Order: sequence, then structure tokens, then C-alpha cells
Amino acid sequence: MKPRWRKVFLDLMENKARTLLVVLSIAVGVFSIGVISGAYVIISNDMSASYAANHPANIELRMADFNDDVLTSVRNMPGIANAEGRRVFSIRARPVNSTTWTVIDLVALNDFATNKVDLLTPIVGSTNPAKRQVILEKDALKNLNVHVGDQLEFELPDGTTKTMPVVGAVQDPTTGAGDFLSPPFGYISMNTLENLQQPDLYNRVYATVSQGQDNAAHISNIAGDVKDRLVRSGIPVNRVRTSKTHEHPLASTVNAILGILLALGILIVFLSSSLIANTLNALLNQHLRYIGVMKLVGGRNRQILIMYLALIVSFGVLALLIAVPLGGQAAYGLAAFIASELRFNLLGYRLVPIAFAIQIAIGILVPLVAGLVPVMNGSKVTVLKAISGDLARAEGRPLHRGPKRESAWEKFQTRITVALSHRGIHIPRPFLISLRNTFRRRGRLALTLFTLTMGGAIFIAVFNVRVTLHDYIGAIGNYFKADVELDFTQPYRTHEIQQYAMQIPGVQRVEGWQGLSADLLYPNGSTIDTINIVAPPANSAMVQPILVSGRWIQASDERKLTISESVLPYYPNLKPGDFLPLKINGRTEQWQVVGIFQFVGQEGILGYAPLEYVEQVNDLVNQSTSFRIETIQHDRAYQSQMADTLDKYFRTHGFNVLQSQAGLASLDNASQSLDTLVTFLLIMALLTAMVGSMGLAGTMSMNVLERTREIGIMRAIGAVDSIIMRTVIAEGMVIGLISFGLAIILSVPFTYLLSYIVSLAVFETPIQTVFTITGYLIWLALILVMSAVASILPARNAARLTIREVLAYE
Amino acid sequence: MTTHPSTPETESIKVASSHPDDMIRMHSVVKTYKNAAGEFKVLKDIDLTIQRGEFATIVGKSGSGKSTLLNMITGIDYPTGGQVVVNGTDIYSITESQRSLWRGKNLGIIFQFFQLLPMLTLLENVMLPMDYVDLYDFDERPAHAMELLEMVGLKDQAHKLPLAVSTGQQQMTAIARALATDAPLLIADEPTGNLDSKTANHMIGIFDQLVRQGKTIVMVTHDPSLTSRTSRTIIIADGELIDETVVKALPLLRHRHMLEITKKAQRIMVQPGEVVLDCGQPVDNLYMIASGSVDVMLADGKHGKLLAHLKAGELFGEIELLRGGKAIACVRAGHHHPVELLTFPREDFLRIIEESPITGGALGNIVQDRLEEHRVKSRM
Repeated sequence: MKPRWRKVFLDLMENKARTLLVVLSIAVGVFSIGVISGAYVIISNDMSASYAANHPANIELRMADFNDDVLTSVRNMPGIANAEGRRVFSIRARPVNSTTWTVIDLVALNDFATNKVDLLTPIVGSTNPAKRQVILEKDALKNLNVHVGDQLEFELPDGTTKTMPVVGAVQDPTTGAGDFLSPPFGYISMNTLENLQQPDLYNRVYATVSQGQDNAAHISNIAGDVKDRLVRSGIPVNRVRTSKTHEHPLASTVNAILGILLALGILIVFLSSSLIANTLNALLNQHLRYIGVMKLVGGRNRQILIMYLALIVSFGVLALLIAVPLGGQAAYGLAAFIASELRFNLLGYRLVPIAFAIQIAIGILVPLVAGLVPVMNGSKVTVLKAISGDLARAEGRPLHRGPKRESAWEKFQTRITVALSHRGIHIPRPFLISLRNTFRRRGRLALTLFTLTMGGAIFIAVFNVRVTLHDYIGAIGNYFKADVELDFTQPYRTHEIQQYAMQIPGVQRVEGWQGLSADLLYPNGSTIDTINIVAPPANSAMVQPILVSGRWIQASDERKLTISESVLPYYPNLKPGDFLPLKINGRTEQWQVVGIFQFVGQEGILGYAPLEYVEQVNDLVNQSTSFRIETIQHDRAYQSQMADTLDKYFRTHGFNVLQSQAGLASLDNASQSLDTLVTFLLIMALLTAMVGSMGLAGTMSMNVLERTREIGIMRAIGAVDSIIMRTVIAEGMVIGLISFGLAIILSVPFTYLLSYIVSLAVFETPIQTVFTITGYLIWLALILVMSAVASILPARNAARLTIREVLAYE
Repeated sequence: MTTHPSTPETESIKVASSHPDDMIRMHSVVKTYKNAAGEFKVLKDIDLTIQRGEFATIVGKSGSGKSTLLNMITGIDYPTGGQVVVNGTDIYSITESQRSLWRGKNLGIIFQFFQLLPMLTLLENVMLPMDYVDLYDFDERPAHAMELLEMVGLKDQAHKLPLAVSTGQQQMTAIARALATDAPLLIADEPTGNLDSKTANHMIGIFDQLVRQGKTIVMVTHDPSLTSRTSRTIIIADGELIDETVVKALPLLRHRHMLEITKKAQRIMVQPGEVVLDCGQPVDNLYMIASGSVDVMLADGKHGKLLAHLKAGELFGEIELLRGGKAIACVRAGHHHPVELLTFPREDFLRIIEESPITGGALGNIVQDRLEEHRVKSRM
């Protein structure tokens, strides 16, 4: 090996801690990018492939109960390739020894062996449940906390229970795939329906189109056509959903979230490159003398430049050796986690060539770019400068240049201290050293602060976004103010239900609600989407809408509605007073919009019209199947308890109860799904924080390394270990606190930006940003701990230095 | 007459047994460095005592071990063997960290390159040791530090950073800092190495003043003009101390020759009045007086005429060694105290003189003077 390459090798080995620091800081960036780009590629490919492999329905029709004749007619409609009927209903279930009910959606199929649409992927046990057997989606297994072979107890409409064995577990990548917040699913055969007191009828059609399976407009047209035909035949269709075969309905949402993670990954690379620049600057400073000597014996600028570039490339290669395998594993892990959350399958473990290439490019190029300036400057240094002058100064030997002028900053620092001392405020000198040391290497400080501040701002922003999302879910609660939702399988007189319900202690108020299902049309008459018109009494206290414009419904309103913001993508200029074309019961009507409210759910478009008008349209005056009950307490536990009480009470009095559930129950799943998303963001924020603290540790090590002489002096004049350590740690903590102050400021735009992107991805609309103190407090604690920890090792090294090492006389 | 090997007697030095007058007591101190080439002994069995109130200089060539010796005294380095007791503390029986605190309280160190902390003002630099050893009330420290800066003439510069003052002013600040904790011992390593002669003189003036106030100062220097202003010169060569008797008797010799003499010389004790050298006796050694005094007599030692009275640091026997022949006078120990002498063999002495023309010339002059005196007194 040529001596100069041997030197490169020795430089790598000389200071193992420094090599490790540089390698790790490169590795973190490479790892993050590797994980995210790998996961991105795997998910965007497998998500849709896995979805398509299960033959997803292009059209889902939610209808009133229907039989095989209707299904056959759908099958025969033009453009339909395949259609299957299923019955989907909500039911409460629990393991036999449990007291906690969980609402699941049971899907009844005709023939598990021959079904061709929305296929189930077997996981374990049977995929073909016999009569009085159930198989569960794997998420349902988890939610219910049961295993295959366990008995599951179902609550029937009459209040009795039925127990059935769980005979298998499946994965269902298609049913509810478009719903980020869908409930867990179970599956039974049609002949089990009667055991669960359900009619042997379908209520959903799942159909595929014969051509244009990835043409959204074509699918929508066929769906509209099918619906029209059914409605004309007197079969009401409540809701139509369409989706492409080769695109997972949540693909754009997942891609948007991965996009955010990718942006964070790029930021991490950027931050780690500043760390690399810092370290290489310090390294080159230390190597100035060697460079001088090499030049003295004939080394040319180019040779020296190449030597140090080779050193940088070595750092990169070492980082790649660590980060590439780990990144590959973690990418697949992340993809598997997302796949499991969204119920689709990956096509197997593999390396993603593009992610691999990106990692290599980043691992080599970023350090080279970051290190180029310091290395070029270092290689250009003159022999004279390298082996004399400034080096002498670096070793603490004052040059005989006479006194210099203090810089403005130095003057400012000393004047502040003097001014404070005149007011009787004396700062202890050891702390003064920490304070002033903080600002000595201002370039290095700026890079460290940048890294820490970005980490902190993102961390805080993630907490704010979390609260923003939960606040939004909470705001959705304004539309579900009822403590119990009590649904019957047939209409009852409102007055009768009120009389019964008020007998139960705790019940304060009972309202009968109705609803209308309509199609929202474009001006040309083509269908946009289903619009669910909820009809509470106009003066209901159980819905408190957040109005964006216009007014709330009034009892006197006829063919008037307030509508959710989610209509705006289709009618961007819609304002109160405008008319919307709706198709209700097969008839196109013009409804006037009186108000627009903020609430965008996943289940189509929501509108409100007064019960007083809708009950006439439905011909159900003073009757209802759905009741909203307000109780004296509004917490989740009390609501559940009251839901149970009401359920039993009405069943025992002979009412046909469909279900009775706590008002907040519908928000549970939503919160859980959002928490998963927030967890991802938090992991990335922690990664940035980790890079930040590594940056701080690096800076503190470099500072200590450069100040060994001063530490020796401190020791020589009486500083014990603990004082030396405190001085170094205090400096780290001062840097941490400054970055905290900056992060507070920067977190504000970050919060707005992140919540904008996330809310667009999840809710398809921007939502109001909320700030929380929690993120700030946690980050403050974290940054203090991190700065202390990041400084402890350098501080220990500082305290371990013997004076002889640092003041070397001879 | 009793003889001893040249190495001092091995006595066990413990903290408790250290004499109260001793500020520094080094016993059998060895320092060995190891490197790829093997072991390298920098200090070889050093024994040294410096008493309170002494102003001692340590002199030696570059690489002689003088800074290592200083490091042993300050507790900055640690010995491979032996014991160092400074101001009553066995400084290597405590931890590095404890030693730092001990140093802050007991030593003031003045470095060649000043070693002020660049981020602190002169005043803050002086206050720093007070903070470290927790001396004075917190609020009183600025006043004490200002007094010290005033003493070294830097009151007006107190709030400047070190880079904004001259090197001389930096060294004066370093002195003020060394005095900050009122330590009894000041150690100065080449303190004038980076100063002009005027500033250096001013600094030594301050040192004199401090010694008069009872401080002990040990200073490493290259500057011969400074050694003349101190009470004691300790020469170190090749990791060994040169006997101070040799330094005084033959000051112009090269250090390696001094060291050779130190090593080969025999130490003898002569009782009061006892004859060391009789007239007409063959002379085979050079005699150097370590302590006590001798009388040089004409004719026989008991009744002869007093030719000269020689004290510690002087030598005799050189005339006979240089010119050959027997003793032209006799030498007797002083009447009141025993005399400690170093004797050095004739052959080695002649070889060294031959290799050291300056010393040879100086000794030639002494011989001329003494022969002249002998002649005059013989005639009387």
C-alpha cells in the first residue's frame, strides 16, 4: 500500500469515535431515505397489485334488502362482468368469557368456494364457514382478542345471544378498502343469517365491469346506469361506490403520507450532511500540520485533495455497509406494517434496486458535497501557514503580533457581563466559560443549531398535527352529540319511544331522526356521488354544526339543505342560496343550499335537512327508525352503559332493536387510525431529533478536542472533574436551549404545513390547525436530556485528560 | 573521616515525616516513558528538597528533563516511582481530580505561554481559580481579583480579553491569576521566555517581592541573568540532578562533565580540626567543599601559618593535580563544624579539564592566584 493510502486508512482508524460519528451521521440519512424510498416502491407496487389480485369490485351498491332475482338482473345488465350479492350488517360480538362488546360488520356470502369478486385471502383455518360458523378478518381477531377455535358470542336483535365458533382467519384487502376508518369484519355463509335473526336477503351488490376496469368515468357511468335501472324497478339504492381494479382506493392517501415521510427523510440527509461538513472541517483543521508536512516533502494540492476525498468516500462506504442492509429490512418492515394496517399483502421480501441506487448515491455523494469545501480549502493551505503561524496559535502560543482589537461580539459579551456585575449580578466564571464557548465557533454552532432546530420544530409540529387531527375528530363529534344512538328494524312512533326511554334514569332527551339517500348530480345530470341527507328536528341540540357559511336548517325549510364542504370539489363556487340537482327516489329535484358546514367524512357527502320536511317526503310523520338519546353524563363509559341499558329495556318491552351504541363509539376507530399515522410521523421526527443530538455530540466532541489546552489550564488552576464536566455539559445544554427557542418559532409554519398536507391526504380538505403545549414540553425535556447525554461523553473525555497531555511542555 | 557513596542516603519520606521547613521534597523520583523503541528514563532517581521561602531556578538543556521535573512538582505528570511531597501533601497518593483542587489551593502556576482562557476577561481569568477552589465569598471575588490586577499594574485593562492586551500584560495577568488563591508556592515555567527584557525584569522584581513576603518560587529558565538573581540554582542534565557543590565549584563546566563529576565523586565527612591533606602528601583527588569550611595552612597542619579559609562551594587540590607533585600546603577541617567534601579522582579531572578549555583557563587563573599568595605568605 502506498504511504498516502496507508495514511487514509490510518486516519480512519486513528480516531474511532470520530469515524463512528461521521459514519453514523451519514448512515442515518442513508437509512431514512432507504427505508422510505424502499417502502414507497414496495407499497405503491404491492398495494395495488395485491388489491387487484383479490378481484375488487368496481361497483359497490348499498341497497335495501333484495333477493337472487334482483342480483341476476344486475348480472345481466350491460357492462357488468360479474356481480355478487352479500348481506353486510353490524352486530355486537364478544369472546364468550368477556364482558366487552365490540361492534363488527358481518358479511354473509353465498358461496365462499366460488366467489369471484372481493376475494378473501386465507390466513389460517377454514375459508369456507359452514352453517353457524364464522371466520374473521385478521384485524377483527386482534380487536376481539380471539383466536381461531375460540367461541364468539353475538348479540341478536331480540337481545338474546348466539355463540358460534371462529373457524378461520382471512385477510380482506377489498371490503372497506376505501375507508380509512372502516370497522373490523367477520364472514358467515348466507344460511347462518337466520341464526342471527337476519333475513335471508342481500343488501349489497359487489360488481365488476366487463371492460374499462381502470377507467373511473366508465365505471361511474355503468354504476349510475345500474342504479337507475334498480331504482326504476322500485329497489332503493342507498349508496354507490366505485373504484378502479388496479388502484387501491387509499393509494393516493398512502402516497401522500409517504411523500411527507420522504420529505422528512430528505431533510434528515440534509441535516446529516451539515454534520459531516462540521466534522470534516474540524478534521481538516487538526490535519493542517500533516498537510503542511506532506506539501513540504512534495505533495501536490491534487494529491492531497484526492487523499481526503478518498477518506470521505471511505466514510460513505462504511455508512453504506451499515445503512443499506438495515434500510432494506426496515423498508420492508415499514411496508409490511402499512400493508397490515390497510389489509393488503406484500408480494414478498425483496431489495428495491432504485432504493438501493438512491442510498448508494446519497451515501457517497452527500458526504463528498458536504466535505468538498473544507477539503479543498485544506488542500490549498500553504506550507508556511500549515506548519507555523496559525498552528502555533492553535497550540495556545500567542503570536508576537501585539494586541488585537476585540470583535464587536466579544465587546458585547464582556460589556453585558460587566453591566450585570455593576447591578450585583455576577455570573460564575465556569458558567461564563460555557456561555461564551457556545458562541466561539459560530459556523459550527449555526450548523448544529440548524440540525437541532429542524428536529425540534418537526417534533413539535407532529404533536400539534396530532392534536389538530384529534381536534378535528372531536369536531366531528359535534355532529354526533347524542350519547346513545338507538336504531330499530322498523319505524316506531316518536312519542312512544320517548315515553319509554324517559322511564330510564339518566335519559334526558329523546329525538327521532330520519334520513334520505340522494344522488348528487352534475348540471348535465350525471351522478357525482351519493349524498346522505340526515334529518334531525330543526331545533335539535344533538347536532352542533360548524358552519362555514350560510345558516343551519329551519323547520320551515322545504327542499333546502345545509351541505358539507366535501361538495366543494364538485361545485367549487357553491354558496348559500345556490341550487343543487339531487336525484331522490328516481326523481331529479333542485334543492337550495342554505348553509355549508365543516365536516368531511369518508362516507360520501353529508347534508342536513329538517325532520319536519323529510318525514313528509318519507311519509313517516311523527315516526322514526332511528333515535338519538341525550343522557345526563357524556363520557364514553356512561354512554356504553346507557346503550346497553336502553338496548335491553326496549327489547324486553318487545321493540325490534337493531342496535344501540354509544355516541362516541364511531369515533374510536377513527382516532386509532390517526394515531397510527401520527406514530409514523413521530418516528421520523425522532430520527431527525436523533440526527440533531448526534450533531450536538459531534460538535461537543470537536469543541472539547479543540479546547483540550484550555481544559488543561482549568485543571492546572484547580478545576476538579465535576467542574470540567459541568462546564462542557452546560455548553451543550445552552446550545440545546437556544435550539429550543428557535424550534418554538419554526414549529409554527411547520405545523401549518404538515397539518395542511396530512389533512388533505386523510380528509381531502384542509382542517383548522390546533396547537398544544405537550409537544413543546416534551421536546424541552427531550432536548435537555439529549444535550446532556450528547455532552456527557465529550465531557468525560475532557475530564479524563491529564494536564500533561494538554499542556505538553516539551 | 567517613566516606559515603555519592547518592544521598535513602530515608523514608512520608507526609508526616516531612520537615515543616520543606516546601518540596522529592524522593527517589523516577519517570520512564515507553514508546515503540523501548523505555526511556527521563528522570533518574531524583532527590530534591526545596525549603519554604526559597527562590530556586531549575536549569537544564532542552530535553534534560527539567519540565518533567517541574511536572512532578505540580502534579501535572505522575512519576513511575518515588514520592513527591509538596507543602505537606504526598501529591501522588490522591486522585487526578483531587490533585486539581489541591493544586488550586497550594500552587500558582505561571506558564511560558501564559495560558489565559481566551473567552474570559483578565479580571475573570483571575477570579476563575477562586471559583474553582471556592475561596472568598462569591461577591467579594471581583474586589480581590481587582487588587491583584492593580498589583501587577493592570487595573485599567481588567475588562479586556487576553487577545486585546500585550504579551507582557498577559503574563502579568497570569501572575495575578497564580496569586489568586494565595497559594504558598509559585511555579513558573520559562515565565520570561516570551517577554522583552524590561518586562522580564519587572516580573522578576515582583517575584523578589513575593519571596520577601514568604512565598516559595520555583522557576525553570534558560536565562543565566535570571539564575544570578535567585537564591538557588538546580541543574538537571540527562534526567539527573547535578550536585550543587559541583555547580558552585566548577560553574563553567559543561553539564555532562558536571554530571560525570556528580556521579563519580566520593562524599567524605571530616571532623572539626581533622587534617584532610598533609603537606608533602601526594594529591590524587580534587576536593570540593559541600558544607563547612577548611583552613589551608603552610608547613604542617597543626602549627603552620593560615594561608586561606575556604568555604562551601570552593575547591582545593587543583594546583597539585594540574602541576603535578605533592601538596604544597596542608588542609584542615574548620575547628567548629565537620566538613563535607566531594573528592574526584585525578585522571578523570585532568581529562575533563582537557576537554573543557574554558574551565581549564579559569582554574589556571585560580592556580596562579593561589601560588602567588602562597609565595607571598611563605616569604612572610
